[in-house]
Amino acid sequence: MAANVTPGLTPFLKSLKATPVESSIEHFISLLKRRQIRNSRPCAIATTQLLLRVVAEFKGRDVNKLLQRIRHVGQRLTAAQPREMAVGNIVRRVLGLIREVAEDDDADTSMSDAGFNSPSPANDGPHHDSLKRPALSSSISTFSPLRHGATLPAEPTGLHHSESSAGTESTEPHHRPNLFTSHTSYAPMHGSLLNIFQHGEFPGSSASTPPGYHSPTGKATPLMSQSFANLADSGPKKEKDLKAEVVEGIRELLDELDQVDDQIAAYALDHIHSNEIILTHTASTTVQKFLLTAARKRKFTVVHAEAYPNDSDDTHATVLDGRKTAGEADADADERFKPLTAAGITVILIPDSAVFAIMSRVNKVILATHTVLANGGLVAAAGARTIAKAAKMHQTPVVVVSGVYKLSPVYPFDVEELIEYGDAGKVADYDDGDFVDKVDVVNPLYDYVPADLVDLYITNLGGHAPSYLYRIVADHYRVEDINL
Amino acid sequence: MPPKGKKGGGAGDKSKTGEEERPEPLQAVILADPFKTRFSPFTLERPRCLLPVANTPLIEYTFEFLANAGVEEVFVYSGAHTDQVEEYILQSKWSTSSASSPFSKLEIIRSSSRSIGDAMRDLDKRAMLVGDFLIVYGDVVSNLPLEPALAAHRARRAADKNTIMTMVLREAGQTHRTKAQEASPVFVIDPTKNRCLHYEQMHARQSNHFVKIDPDLLSSHQELEIRQDLIDCGIDICTPDVLALWSDNFDFEAPRKGFLHSVLKDYELNGKTIHTHIVNDHYAARVRNLRAYDAVSRDIISRWAYPLCPDSNLLKGQTYRLQKGNVYKENDVILARSCVINRRSVIGAKTSIGDGSTISNSVVGRQCIIGRNVTIDGAYIWDSAVIGDGSTVTKAIVASEAAVGRKCIVEPGALIGEGVRIADGVTVPGTSRITRAKRKRGAEDYFGRDEPDVRLVGQGGDGYEFIGSDEEDEEGVEGLTSNGLSLFYNMQNLALSTESISTLNSEDELSEDRVAHHDRSAAGSFISIASDDSHASQHAGDFHHDAAASIFDSLQKGDEWENIQLELTALRMSTNASEHQLRRAVVAAFMKRIAQVVEAGTPAKAAVDEVLKGYGELVKKTMFDDGDRVDFLLLMQTDLAHRKEGANVLLYMCMELYRLDVMSAEVFERWWEDPKGMEGGEMEGVRGKTQQFIDFLKEESEEESEDEDEEDDEEDEDGD
Repeated sequence: MAANVTPGLTPFLKSLKATPVESSIEHFISLLKRRQIRNSRPCAIATTQLLLRVVAEFKGRDVNKLLQRIRHVGQRLTAAQPREMAVGNIVRRVLGLIREVAEDDDADTSMSDAGFNSPSPANDGPHHDSLKRPALSSSISTFSPLRHGATLPAEPTGLHHSESSAGTESTEPHHRPNLFTSHTSYAPMHGSLLNIFQHGEFPGSSASTPPGYHSPTGKATPLMSQSFANLADSGPKKEKDLKAEVVEGIRELLDELDQVDDQIAAYALDHIHSNEIILTHTASTTVQKFLLTAARKRKFTVVHAEAYPNDSDDTHATVLDGRKTAGEADADADERFKPLTAAGITVILIPDSAVFAIMSRVNKVILATHTVLANGGLVAAAGARTIAKAAKMHQTPVVVVSGVYKLSPVYPFDVEELIEYGDAGKVADYDDGDFVDKVDVVNPLYDYVPADLVDLYITNLGGHAPSYLYRIVADHYRVEDINL
Repeated sequence: MPPKGKKGGGAGDKSKTGEEERPEPLQAVILADPFKTRFSPFTLERPRCLLPVANTPLIEYTFEFLANAGVEEVFVYSGAHTDQVEEYILQSKWSTSSASSPFSKLEIIRSSSRSIGDAMRDLDKRAMLVGDFLIVYGDVVSNLPLEPALAAHRARRAADKNTIMTMVLREAGQTHRTKAQEASPVFVIDPTKNRCLHYEQMHARQSNHFVKIDPDLLSSHQELEIRQDLIDCGIDICTPDVLALWSDNFDFEAPRKGFLHSVLKDYELNGKTIHTHIVNDHYAARVRNLRAYDAVSRDIISRWAYPLCPDSNLLKGQTYRLQKGNVYKENDVILARSCVINRRSVIGAKTSIGDGSTISNSVVGRQCIIGRNVTIDGAYIWDSAVIGDGSTVTKAIVASEAAVGRKCIVEPGALIGEGVRIADGVTVPGTSRITRAKRKRGAEDYFGRDEPDVRLVGQGGDGYEFIGSDEEDEEGVEGLTSNGLSLFYNMQNLALSTESISTLNSEDELSEDRVAHHDRSAAGSFISIASDDSHASQHAGDFHHDAAASIFDSLQKGDEWENIQLELTALRMSTNASEHQLRRAVVAAFMKRIAQVVEAGTPAKAAVDEVLKGYGELVKKTMFDDGDRVDFLLLMQTDLAHRKEGANVLLYMCMELYRLDVMSAEVFERWWEDPKGMEGGEMEGVRGKTQQFIDFLKEESEEESEDEDEEDDEEDEDGD
């Protein structure tokens, strides 16, 4: 680490290469505890990078051990700061990724088994295999909803393709996952990259997928070639590739994190129309990019609630010159963008208390979030609920923009638990001795906004109704991993 | 959001200051032992920095602060209970052997220092600090980002090499629970340059609330701010020059009242400037006494120190969760259905609380057993304590493993030490400090204990009233309650207990007092003056410094001794200083001058001759009887004990004084036999070479008496 640097995301990422994994983990934990890495995106990036290292350093080939290791690391990280859900989300994604790769391998070997050992139809293959390895039910992997979504979006449930499907149909218990699988296929699931390996592993399916196919992310193409490369040296080398594949998958995840804002912004024109009055809140990069993209083509008015006290400085800075006073803007230079005003948009800064008064004139509310929960509710910067509630009163649509990485499989049984209470000194000056002594000051950082106050979510996968989120959760996280 | 700001600032500053200026790592010195016993009786068995604040050892907060600031190398200076501190640190996550340590170096320095001044001089000798470094106490609780302060410090330093120190101060209003209550610091600051021009401490009980400002300051500065609304959290960014200054001024003992005050005063002389960095956001405070302990605990619980709050779970294995109303509970807390946990409470794991009990505004440690129908309000119950059914504990501290019986009443302000047992039905008065540790501090065997004081703890109880074993201990106990506070300030020790901010200064007076003990009338009167008017004690402290500096200057310039004498008398009269003080100043000045000459390469004997030449009379005038002369010699010995060549200088000084007829042989003998002169290794050591001189004196006096006898004989003969 360079001399005299206040710890944070950037020094952490820099130090990651040089320090042993275990100390990096501990370092990250203390950074989380000290809130030196906070908010979803930095947490997600740091977690991903850290897990990348953990996987890379992992010795041995046992998938279960790797899963265990990641799970263990994940437990420690989430325990350090349970309210930064993005950490847990990323851990679950990586776990899912490993399972995916492993099961794929598994299915693959079982297929070759079937091919060599018995001339009988492929039906027996998976069955036989699942008997051998009850722990890893290969049919789930092959029937991953993601896979279906990606390869054959419009395919009805019955229409399975070739080898794998044949196997599954023969064994009813393994067929169960199909139940949710079938729903997924209606989902616009192109964005998910997790399944891409599978194409590589399956000669049949990869053939069925046109090489030119790409998800909206535009990221699939290099991966495809990668998986074809994998395909080339199949066989005994397979197992060795496990790690490489997982690492590759995590890199994909990083790319996703990198591009998520731009992907979301791509939907802006569908939702923001000319001469609308848009109300937003806090200095979210996602929202800013979203609005900026729309501003290129359309003229509208933005009413910006300042999110006092926790985010007001950043909000002011964003309104003024398009960058936060600190944080991500410094972390990577390309984060800097022009303020909305430079794009010819009228921006009106209002105090949070004026939200209700102005709501009658607002056409649309766009909210950023901290975490989106499986029930369609969300945790966002304090003040979000007031805005959502006011919007409900005035029948103003509330649109939430959020990357999929913020989507958590956690169900909010105890809403209080989700909300972090911050520095009381932001609300009342600590200088005032009498005040400090006699008054309890509460400064919640977040609000819980229930699902019924939100009309639409826009993620990097597209727009979804709140009631539909559970499906995306099911697509991205394995049931086994929901409780870390 | 503050941490974000921090992070950003950090990244930005790193690219600028970090690369351009210095590649050296940021170093920090933690003064884990502030050489004080304000936390007695708890500090009898545990070092202060390991006392739990909101169930986390105090030093954790300090480490957090340093880690937050991006410090890489840490030196922990520890005096009492070093073993415990060392053991704790080695097992903590901060130890460099642990994977999670953010520090590249963590060194625990054992020292025999008796004051912060000694520690500083020791540090200077060790020469471990290469660049700018931080000095903090082991009791700082702060979430302050230091980046701006460091940047400002470096910028100033780049512009002017003479800016040696930046103090980080937190603004707070006129009345604030976390501020020092009884002795508040007064800073005179030039706001245009953030330069601190003058520093004084003002006492609550002081009769007049004046600050004396040098008129020059008024004429030479456009703007002056005189501020009393600052929390001095003891965070200083220093350059190595600071250590050098400490070394040069052997008489500095406290960092504020001694060092800061004097360096600012001597600006003309040394040209060093000290700056301030005043922040008005974030949290910074020191747990410097029990009252601050209470205030800081409450700040932490009320999340003023966020993210330093219990639910950050700073320690490994902590599982605190925040619930409504700032109630923090760990996993595995057993609560009876009918018990009530009110606002602002912290409860550690495996603690059980019985039916009908009420807990409010309190911290309860781990594995405590709270009985039924107990009322705990504003109290601090440390780990594994037991409170019996039906008891009431209000605004008190119950230390680890202590047990309070049934139907007891612990009144506000009471302090119950480790392992003490209070029998059933006892009322513990608010003024009591009950301990079980041996009375003598520093005794090896803490478990050996005296008979319990049944009157205090009841039949079957264990523990007795803690009595400060030496003067230092009297100082410490500032109660948790404000009315309790006045009780602890008993009149006899007014002069001693006043200095609360600057640990060093009271130490200064203490050491002074220690020396003065044997000095009958003069010292006695000084003390009484001080207790009548604590203001005088402050002046007395100044006197020593002023007088020593002026004599030293005169010696350097070679002024007439009469002039020096005149000046001294005037100074003495104006500050009401004692004769003893005067001698101390004279000794200090002469020794310093001699040391200076010796360092220039002159042999000790020549140096003594040179310095003393022409000033014999001056020395003579400072003492009036043999008692005074012995006192003078003792002061000299004490002073020389810390100096290079001390033994030689002492020998030659003695010879010279004898030759000049300032001292008689009897005085030397009395001095030689004085037990004060034989205390401690250094005092012994410095005497070594003087032995020959004393022997010589003894022989001579024998010869003389023989001569006299002979003469007598002759006379007799003549008479015949």
